[in-house]
Amino acid sequence: MSVQLIKGNTAVIVGALYAGCDCYFGYPITPASEILHEASKYFPMANRKFVQAESEEAAINMVYGAAAAGHRVLTASSGPGISLKQEGFSYMAGAQLPCVIANIQRAGPGLGNIGPEQADYNQVVKGGGHGNYKNIVLAPNSVQEMCDLTIKAFDLAFKYRNPAVLLSDGVLGQMMEPLKFPEKAIEHKVDTSWAVAGNAETKKNLVTSIFLNFEQQELFNVKLLEKYEKICENEVIYEEYLTEDADIILVSYGISSRISKSAVEAAREKGYKVGLFRLITLYPFPKKELLKLATEKNRVFVAVEMSAGQMRDDLALAIECKRPVELVARYGGNIIEMDAILKKIEEIYEKVDF
Amino acid sequence: MSERFNLLTPGHSGCAGCCDALAAKYVLMGVGEDVIVVNPTGCLEVMTSPFPNTAWNVPWIHSLFENGGAVASGIEAALKSLGRKGNTKIVGIGGDGSTMDIGIGSLSGAFERGHDILYVCIDNEAYMNTGNQRSSGTPLGASTSTSPPGSVSYGNPTHKKDMTRIMAAHGSPYVATTSIGYANDMIRKVKKAAETVGPTYIHSHAPCPTGWGFDSSKTIEIAKLAVETCLWPLYEMEDGEVTQVRKVKDPKPVEEYLKAQKRFRHLFKMEDGDKEIEKIQKQADRNIEYYGLNK
Repeated sequence: MSVQLIKGNTAVIVGALYAGCDCYFGYPITPASEILHEASKYFPMANRKFVQAESEEAAINMVYGAAAAGHRVLTASSGPGISLKQEGFSYMAGAQLPCVIANIQRAGPGLGNIGPEQADYNQVVKGGGHGNYKNIVLAPNSVQEMCDLTIKAFDLAFKYRNPAVLLSDGVLGQMMEPLKFPEKAIEHKVDTSWAVAGNAETKKNLVTSIFLNFEQQELFNVKLLEKYEKICENEVIYEEYLTEDADIILVSYGISSRISKSAVEAAREKGYKVGLFRLITLYPFPKKELLKLATEKNRVFVAVEMSAGQMRDDLALAIECKRPVELVARYGGNIIEMDAILKKIEEIYEKVDF
Repeated sequence: MSERFNLLTPGHSGCAGCCDALAAKYVLMGVGEDVIVVNPTGCLEVMTSPFPNTAWNVPWIHSLFENGGAVASGIEAALKSLGRKGNTKIVGIGGDGSTMDIGIGSLSGAFERGHDILYVCIDNEAYMNTGNQRSSGTPLGASTSTSPPGSVSYGNPTHKKDMTRIMAAHGSPYVATTSIGYANDMIRKVKKAAETVGPTYIHSHAPCPTGWGFDSSKTIEIAKLAVETCLWPLYEMEDGEVTQVRKVKDPKPVEEYLKAQKRFRHLFKMEDGDKEIEKIQKQADRNIEYYGLNK
C-alpha cells in the first residue's frame, strides 16, 4: 500500500479517482482551489473529464447535467462559492441526483477571509437551498479522511440518489499528512434504472423536480422524507473517545475535534473525567447515541466548534435539552485553543457537583 | 494633473511591478475625482483595501465577484432617483475572471439597460488572486494552474474571448482596448469613455509578473511586446464601428513575446510546440489583417 505526504485538498482528488468519479466541474476559490488544480492535472491523465466552469452556478449545473446522465461527479468550493451553488443543491435533491460536493470552509459572512471556520454548518446541514430536502454531510478530521470520506460520500450519494457534502475547512484542506492510498478502485457503471444516458435503454427515464400538481408535489416530499428517515436510521457515523465514565462530554467535528481530543487527554491528566463524542456524519446527526449519553448519567455537554453555536443547537435538540450544553467557539479564521477548552472544563467542575 | 496622481495612493500591498496598480492609476487619471468606483473581488480589491487601510482617495465600493455591473447600475439609478447624478461617473473596475466569466451576465444587463457607467476590465489573463487559474481571457497555449501542459495538453486549449466586441455589440457608444504599456493612450481613452454618456467599456491588457512569470521590472516591456507582435491590437469603436486603430509598423514575431514569459516556456520545449506557436502567430496575423494594423 502506497503512503504519501500530501495536502488535504489533494486527498479529495485521490479519493474521487479511487471512487470512480469520472467528471470534475469547478471554479477557483481559496482555500479550495488545489482540488481544482489537481483535478485539472490528474483527471485528463486518467481519461476522466475536467471542465473549469465560468462561475460556481455553472459548475454546479454541469454537475446536475452529468449526474443526470449517470456519471459520478465531484465539485468543490468554499463558503461564498457554496452560497452561489445553493440553487443547484436544491434542484439535485429535488431531482434525486447523486453527486459529491466538497466545501473547504473559510471565514464569513460575506467575503470574509480565507482562514478556516465551520460556520457553513447550518447552510450545509440544514439544506441551504429552498424546499424540504437534506444533504448527506460527512465531516473529515484528517488528510486520510479527506480521501476516505470522499469515497464514502460517493457510496452514500449513489445509495440514496442524493447530494453528499464533504464538509471540511481551510486547515484540513491546506495541511499535509501521510495518506495511505485506498486498496481498491471502484469502477463506475451507469445505473440505467434512473439515469438518462442518451441511449435506447434509458429513453423512458425522467430526471425532473417539477410537479405542477400539488398532491403529486406533496407525495414527492413525503417520499423524500421517507428516504431521509432511512438515512438517519442506517448511516450515522461517529467516534467516541473516553465517554463511558465522563462527566463532561465534548462534542465536536472536523479540525475542532482534533483539538478537543488533545483537550480530553490534557484534562484526564489533571484528573477530570472528560470524553469526546466526535461527529463524522453531521446529517444524519447521531441523535440516539447522544440522547443515551445524556440520559444515563448526570453530565454536561460542551460543543466545540468554529461557529456561533450552530452545531450546539442540533446537540441541544438531540439530547432534548436534558443536560446543560456549553459552547467553546472561535470565529473569523481563528482556531480554537486547547487551553480555552480546558478553562471551560475547569469552570464546569467549579459549578457542577457530578 | 498632480492631484490626479494621488487618487490611488502608493503603499498598497500589490506585488512589485503589479499591473493592476498601474491600470487603476491610469483609470483614475483619465476619469478624475468626480467618480464612484465599483470594484468586484480580485487582486486590486484585496491589495488596496485591507481593513482599516485604503489606497483609494475617491468613493469606492467593493462588490462580490459576479455582480460589478449590477452594483454600478444600482448606484447610477439611485443617484438619478435622488437627482444627484450630475456629472459623477460610476466606474466599475474588474479583472478578467470577474468581467468575462462570472460577471458577464450582470455586466450585459447593465449595458443593455443603458446605464451611464464606465466599466474597465483589467485583463491579466487568469485568476491571479486565487492562484493563477485559467479564465476566458487566458490566451492559447498559456500554462496556468488549471491548464497545465503535459502528456495530453499544450496548456490552455482556447483563444481569448473577444470581450471588447461583445460589449460593442450591446450598442455601447464607445468601447476601446488599451494597454498599461501605453499610458497616455490609455488615459486618453478612459477620459473619452468617461465623458461619453451611456455605458462605455475599456478593456486593458495587463501583464502580471507573478502569474505570467517574468521579472517585475519588465511589466511595461511585456505589455509593449503584446502590442508590437499584434497579439493585442489597440483600437476604439464608436457605436459599433472601429474608428481608430494604433498602427504597428513592423510587427515582431510572436516568439519574442512568448519566450519572455514562463507561462509559454513549455511551447519551446515540447514536441510539436512550434505548431502551437504557429497557431498563436496566426491569431496575430488575423489581427493585422482585420484591423489593418500595418497599413
